[in-house]
Amino acid sequence: MKTPGRPRKKEPELFINRELSWLEFNGRVLEEAMDPATPLLDRLRFAIIVSTNLDEFFMVRVAALKHAVAEGDNEPDLADLRPRQQLHVIAERAHEMVDTLGRTLTEQILPALAEHAVRIVPLATLEEAQRTFLARYFRGEVLPALTPLATDASRPFPRLANLSLNLAILLAPGDGEEQPRLALVQVPGGLRRLVRPVGGEGSTYVLLEEVIRAELAELFPGQRVLASAAFRIARDAEIELDDEGGRPYLEAVEEELKKRRSSQIVRLEVESEAGDALLAILVERLGVEVPDVYHVRGPLDMRALQALVDIPSLEHLREPPLKPLPVLDEHERRNIMSVVAEREVLLYHPYDSYEPVLAFLSSAASDPDVLAIKQTLYRTSGDSPVVQTLARAAENGKQVTVVVELMARFDEQSNIRWAKSLEESGAHVIYGIQGYKTHAKVCLVVRRGRQGIERYVHMGTGNYNDRTARVYTDFGFLTADRVVGEDASAFFNALTGYSDPPKMKKLAMAPTNLRERFLRLIERERRRAEEGQAAEIRAKVNSLVDEDVIRALYDASRAGVRIRLNVRGICCLRPGIKGVSETIEVISIVDRFLEHARVYHFRNGGDEDVYLSSADWMPRNLDRRIELLFPVTAPEPRRKVLEVMDAMFLDNVKARRLMPDGTYKRKRPPKGEEPYRAQIQLYREWKRALERTRAATSVAFEPAPAPGPAEKVSSTG
Amino acid sequence: MPSPRKRSLTPKTAPPAPVPVEAPRPVAVIDMGASAIRLLVAEAAPGQPVRILEEASRGVLLGKDTFMHGRLGAATVEATLKALEGFRRIMDGYGVVRYRAVATSAVREAQNSDAFLDRVRLRTGIDVEVIDGSEENRLTYMAVRETLRDHPALTSGDTLLLEVGGGSADISFLRKGQPINSGTYPLGSIRMRQSLASWHGSQEQGMRLLRRHIHNVVDDIRREIPLREAQHVIALGGDVRFAAQQMVGDRAGGAPAILGREPFVAFCDQVTSWDVEQLVEQFHLPQAEAETLVPALVAYRELLQETAAQEVIVPDVSLRAGLLLDVAQVDAGQGIEDFSRQVLSSAAALAEKYRWDAPHSKKVAQLATRIFDELKAEHGLGDRERLLLEVAALLHDIGNYVNLRGHHKHTWYLLSVSDIFGLSRDDMALVANVARYHRRALPQKSHLPYMALDREARVVVNKLSAILRLANALDADHLQKVKDVRVIPEDADWVLDVEGAGDLTMERLAALARGDLLTEVFGRKLSFRESRARAS
Repeated sequence: MKTPGRPRKKEPELFINRELSWLEFNGRVLEEAMDPATPLLDRLRFAIIVSTNLDEFFMVRVAALKHAVAEGDNEPDLADLRPRQQLHVIAERAHEMVDTLGRTLTEQILPALAEHAVRIVPLATLEEAQRTFLARYFRGEVLPALTPLATDASRPFPRLANLSLNLAILLAPGDGEEQPRLALVQVPGGLRRLVRPVGGEGSTYVLLEEVIRAELAELFPGQRVLASAAFRIARDAEIELDDEGGRPYLEAVEEELKKRRSSQIVRLEVESEAGDALLAILVERLGVEVPDVYHVRGPLDMRALQALVDIPSLEHLREPPLKPLPVLDEHERRNIMSVVAEREVLLYHPYDSYEPVLAFLSSAASDPDVLAIKQTLYRTSGDSPVVQTLARAAENGKQVTVVVELMARFDEQSNIRWAKSLEESGAHVIYGIQGYKTHAKVCLVVRRGRQGIERYVHMGTGNYNDRTARVYTDFGFLTADRVVGEDASAFFNALTGYSDPPKMKKLAMAPTNLRERFLRLIERERRRAEEGQAAEIRAKVNSLVDEDVIRALYDASRAGVRIRLNVRGICCLRPGIKGVSETIEVISIVDRFLEHARVYHFRNGGDEDVYLSSADWMPRNLDRRIELLFPVTAPEPRRKVLEVMDAMFLDNVKARRLMPDGTYKRKRPPKGEEPYRAQIQLYREWKRALERTRAATSVAFEPAPAPGPAEKVSSTG
Repeated sequence: MPSPRKRSLTPKTAPPAPVPVEAPRPVAVIDMGASAIRLLVAEAAPGQPVRILEEASRGVLLGKDTFMHGRLGAATVEATLKALEGFRRIMDGYGVVRYRAVATSAVREAQNSDAFLDRVRLRTGIDVEVIDGSEENRLTYMAVRETLRDHPALTSGDTLLLEVGGGSADISFLRKGQPINSGTYPLGSIRMRQSLASWHGSQEQGMRLLRRHIHNVVDDIRREIPLREAQHVIALGGDVRFAAQQMVGDRAGGAPAILGREPFVAFCDQVTSWDVEQLVEQFHLPQAEAETLVPALVAYRELLQETAAQEVIVPDVSLRAGLLLDVAQVDAGQGIEDFSRQVLSSAAALAEKYRWDAPHSKKVAQLATRIFDELKAEHGLGDRERLLLEVAALLHDIGNYVNLRGHHKHTWYLLSVSDIFGLSRDDMALVANVARYHRRALPQKSHLPYMALDREARVVVNKLSAILRLANALDADHLQKVKDVRVIPEDADWVLDVEGAGDLTMERLAALARGDLLTEVFGRKLSFRESRARAS
């Protein structure tokens, strides 16, 4: 057996730089924002996502590269780009993206919204009475929250909070001074960014920074304001980026960085109207480099616009909601343990309702024969029903063990509270594992049954979070399989430190043997191909970055294995290279649900292996996190997983194909064929199937869903 | 297209019925070995195979401390407590009430074992029982027999059952599956590793020293155990299991690994050519396991070479499995398995070694157990004591091998250093005392070995040796004239109703003289009555 890490031949032409690949992904989200076929408010939603994604990207990835440069780390990546080179190409692409985003917002989305009477207007266009109202509002509500700061060369530059919105003001030189002075005022984060002056028609808003800007004379009495501009900085967050949901990540990061203001500034955004003189002083004082300055059209910090996306009366400007389908009826949910004892249940959220998962936990908490519940929680907030249920179970005298991964290491204040209260209710709480993040999503219920101990296990590809389960596509799997139960027990014993890492029979675990398992499975497919058998690998992941895995896939492709990958985000593998990856197809789907499930499917000579996992094909998942891989063997659940996979590769509306040059090209329906939008098609088919079953059994346990917007699923493309 | 879901219309709302009494109950066993502490949780119901629910293990180097410094260090104690606290939680998670936790040589030999076990009890509530080599042998034998039930190694011929542990090697010799000989020998892998580590010469020289040490011990073993006669070798222990795993991989369904003699020797030779660092790298072994691997494998190899076996059988069993059988049987209300057959055959093998007068000894054993049974209501002792009496009776004369004069004392010391399969050191001390008092002086306070027993054991010795003296007297001529004996209460006295053939004068005189202790212990006078030709 050979361990990875041996020196390898550099083959940069075979790899795509991960940062550029990420930017490509964000570009695909931007495409959705630009697409006139996307409902207007969803376009706005995608636009906001593009901008918050960029915020995170700068704070994490760009920051890490800048850090490397500062440390003198000149190690090139797989694509043979050195940190400095990467920063250069990132800046180029990011500037272009910010421009496009700004144009899309200001020239398309906002004007289109205006047609629906939703407007963000300059203060000057308001009527006199409205302006008077705003001035009053300023004095009453805003002014007390402001702290104007004058700066000069003799004082250290004020520390600005990460991602905060500020106004830079250029004041005329005072007596005896030669240079104009720079003053700063932070736009208070606690106040509503979109201010609604009374008396306007429809939904007319003014930006808070404009309200402040109109009253600068109040802030700097007796001084002459030469110029002003809104700006925003991003700092090194010193954390990892991920998209596991939970409380908005940014919020958590922001909170921490309020405390740590001194970390390096990695980006400066200024409004596009900013004057040269002001900008020059600002850039100099902040110590940022010119390539890191981004001129932004439209409002800075687009999170404020989320309020518009959610305006209730504009239902018709959003994708019609898809009501989660009740895979289990009420009776089955109430008896979920006996259902699972009888058959394995596979859920695909958000198509399938999250209710069964909550029912599973809730039943475990109150069943008098349940002895113990063990569960991992990755980034959960205290008000989650999962946490409440676990507390109830502990109060009911169950042995409750919870392995908690806090939102981030700095997130203690807000999260430690609910974890502590969980402890007070009698649960045994373990605050993560030194050196690893517990990313596996598993819940084990131990029950004293008539025939002895029974174990029920829920495992998933996404977190125990009922809210993200409405937007993220994730599999959840409920089983009473004995061996899986034993493995889950062993897994928790290792996690809690009760035992040294065990050998598992059906599950595989990172960091112990997950990479090895993946490599073996890929290798097995390769050998089959070499023996002349039909061989195929299909995978659905968020990111494909791991070099070992990519090289194994190349080897498999060279041997003729058909490989189809659905990689939503970063993909460092380059498909379609002659003699290397000709048999590999990579697609990415960006649609209304965030594709998040991880699926691994190997043909295995017809005896197909289907696995689900919490892990992507990334080094961090395989080396630095605790992850689980589990097989789906029962015919029904398996068929459902494969159905999802089939649909993904059929998509010709929201799917893009990765080209050998690293760009993505939208798939289009072949001539004369109906467009196929996987997310919508799957939902429709499952809904219809469910209705058919209902009709067939003639016993209705639940009233049919009321006819409404959910019925009229529009197809785009 | 999704197919319609299976839908069950039968109501399943009924709350779970109260668990019936026959439902399996969870039990646990804990084994504190030289390099790890391990837990097994299982459930067992009467008449059903034991089902393992959970296994956990924590590497704690108890052996390293004890075998190097003679006591358990603070860090090791803390690590043990932490591991046991976790195990306790696992056990509580199943509502385990019944468990057996044992510690072997690494704790047994630590000078601070009492303080250590007390801390364990206070901190975790777990009562740990220190067991000796023979109890270990009995437990592992039990597990082996369960696993290899119909294997030729357990049904015919001679078999060497051997386990090289951290502190010592336990070896049993089985004939047709019955242990007739067993012992504990200084071939502990951790101990050997310690002395190897203190050697500062080259790897090859170190290995030569190791081999010489092993050869010396093997020479000793050969004197007590007929190694060459063994046609089968069953090897237990983590190191040999590791070798088996490397050589033939995981076995389906826990089947034993069968390793050919030549390949096994070749594997051992290859492994012993590497140093610890290479082993860690090659096999991804933890340092502690890599350190003991070489000494252990050399020991297995050398012992195998002594035998006629063509293969090594490595079953997937351990002390824990034996413990579990033990606990599960008791828990299922089946009582501790009767091991008297193995104990007695092992005792007979020992007696054979000292050239016993078999007819006499067997007769004494028969009469002694007969009297024991007759007096059951009087002495209040149980099956275990009966077995010890029988063993003492079989072996009471082995001191003759040394010298006829004072042979009861020679018997005592021979027995106090011997191993009998299935008997603990405490058992052996008792047996040795009982056998010693089969003639001459009565137990008294000036006898140190007698006083070394606790009060309870002394009472047992008194009762058993009283019976043994009488039984021995009833075959005073060594001619087995007495067929049977009954004890009949008459007024306040006991009448010995002796059924025999020929002249019983010697026996009558001897019995009345050697009934002294019986009279003292039970307060009854004895009289002798012959009843010939009792009709059946």
